[in-house]
Amino acid sequence: MLFKTTARFYDGKTSVPQNIEVFLDIKQDKLSFENGQQKIVWKNTAIKFSKNNNNLICEHGNDPIQQIFISDADFIKKTYPILKSKGHQHWYDGLVNLGFMNHLLIAISLLALIGLSYVYVLPWVAEKAVTIIPESYDNEIGQLAFNEEMLLNKIDSSKTKTLNQFASELKLNNKKKLKFTVVNSDIVNAYALPDGNIVVFTGILNALQSTEELAGLLGHESSHVNNRHSMKMLCRNLSGYLFISAILGDANGVMAIIGDNVNSLNNLSFSRKFETEADNDGYTVLIKNNLNPEGMTKLFTRLKEEETIDIPEFLSSHPVTDERIKEIQKRIKSGKHNTIDNQKLTFLFQKIKE
Amino acid sequence: MENSVSELKNYELDYKGKGEDLFGITIVNWLLTAVTLGFYYPWAKAKRLQYLYSNTTLNDEPFAFHGTGKEMFKGFIKALLIFAALYGVLFLFLYLEMPGMGLILFYLGFLAIFPIAIHGAYRYRMSRTSWRGIRFGYRGDRKEFTLEFFKNIGLTIITLGIYGSWMTINLRRYLLGNIRFGNTEFEYEGDGGEYFVMNLKNYFLTIFTLGIYIFWWQKELFEYYVNNLSVHKGKENLEFRSKVTGGGFLKLSIVNFFIVIFTLGLGYSWAFTRNMKYFLSNIELEGNLCLDTITQTEANYNDATGEDLEDALDMDFVL
Repeated sequence: MLFKTTARFYDGKTSVPQNIEVFLDIKQDKLSFENGQQKIVWKNTAIKFSKNNNNLICEHGNDPIQQIFISDADFIKKTYPILKSKGHQHWYDGLVNLGFMNHLLIAISLLALIGLSYVYVLPWVAEKAVTIIPESYDNEIGQLAFNEEMLLNKIDSSKTKTLNQFASELKLNNKKKLKFTVVNSDIVNAYALPDGNIVVFTGILNALQSTEELAGLLGHESSHVNNRHSMKMLCRNLSGYLFISAILGDANGVMAIIGDNVNSLNNLSFSRKFETEADNDGYTVLIKNNLNPEGMTKLFTRLKEEETIDIPEFLSSHPVTDERIKEIQKRIKSGKHNTIDNQKLTFLFQKIKE
Repeated sequence: MENSVSELKNYELDYKGKGEDLFGITIVNWLLTAVTLGFYYPWAKAKRLQYLYSNTTLNDEPFAFHGTGKEMFKGFIKALLIFAALYGVLFLFLYLEMPGMGLILFYLGFLAIFPIAIHGAYRYRMSRTSWRGIRFGYRGDRKEFTLEFFKNIGLTIITLGIYGSWMTINLRRYLLGNIRFGNTEFEYEGDGGEYFVMNLKNYFLTIFTLGIYIFWWQKELFEYYVNNLSVHKGKENLEFRSKVTGGGFLKLSIVNFFIVIFTLGLGYSWAFTRNMKYFLSNIELEGNLCLDTITQTEANYNDATGEDLEDALDMDFVL
């Protein structure tokens, strides 16, 4: 099979277009043309064929690169499929020529896959990765965050002392030394830092009505420390970022993420799983100390009262307290518990409330 | 020939790419990069550039990008080694308990990467770009450019950033002025003072109009780039003229914004195509430069280290 057409030839020496007659010999797999007096033959295997708008471009050589532009639509229509079938098309172009619908399908599948691994695979991997990070790192960033927070906040030292006494009377199952700090603020909140520093606002202390509520709260917060929840979240956020940047081909800003997280450790939103885990541990602390586990549900009721805006559960990183109350009530019903009045705890609680 | 010198010629610059095609390339690149855990990236970049260049046309003839994934992969490895060496020096000095010295060297080294990256990227990109088989080239000298870069950075720091306008124009003049296309030479005639006044004026107008004027600022920035650019070959000249308008920029940005938002980002290829089309079809060329008599003069240069350094530093190719 021999195909013939007219074309423009650029010899790689000047920009002048030279009109030539091209012969494409499929059988011998070669392309030939006359340039001036000279007959030139290119092997098709040495030519890079590409289709660009309405042109078929045949590129030959490296230095200089010589090009033949064929604009003959009929010729292209006849020869291009043959060239393709003979393997003169890069496999990449095959993928590019799959068509819009296939590309859209690939895009959506990729997005779905990324979404799924981001939501399900990544957190799991990140949590496992925490075990290889030394505890000393928890202490370092916890300390850093604590120092920074305390610059802006006012510590109530007498209540801090009493709260620490209260905590030492409790069996908290802690693996790490815990240090409690009471901060003067109307915010109804408490948070745990990875180094064992637990900060409690006077706002939440004022809201609490009984010893077991406070014990439940401390049990909950110490669980965050015990289970390295902060570190797990940090790893999760970081791996999420790395994951996304790997996909987008950009690895800057890793340091910024670490920095951001150190700064916001106090309001780092624990995932629902972590909150439930901490709630259960808080419950266990109450049982172990022979305190009424209803303290846990009471604690949630107080917190709920403080919450003015209702956020739909799926939007909130904190489980809505209703859900948490239900879950704890289920546990209270299923288990047996003895309640012994602990005079010392009650005394310390009253002292904190003063 | 005598005649052709005085005669005005017709030129037309255009972008012929389609959003759908670019989308296909983007998705295939994405897939291959994901499957190879990122290793395909240099090849993906080459494919993308090849597509963009080959759809940019001058008088209906396409430009071509000849860079390959292999070249850019090698460049990437070299760029990686340069960064590793830099961190190596830092950690060595930290180990020797001379953190001050280490940091100074680290930052100086880091700063020095910028001119090296820009220089290398220009050499590589230009050498890998051709039209009608004639290569572009960049004739800048690395040492000269690095000195120029540090001189300008220094003055910018001393003047608390005010000299920044002069720096931009000085570097642009050096870089663009050293571009060759075969035996033709590029020239950039911007002036730092003029550029400064233009930016100052637009800055205040943008503030007074609560940001709306930013599109007219963009227009003037684009104009300042394009209108000061020309190509020469002996007595033959080619001048660049921008036809973009503030209203055009406004419309372009708003429509692109909606395209990207409503497709959850997947429509980016179409927005990008609209930009390319708008910019390129709004550059007019005027002059008597004969496009048929340009001869090959520029040497091949296939070291992509600068290109990859620029990529790692997240810099745009165009300065």
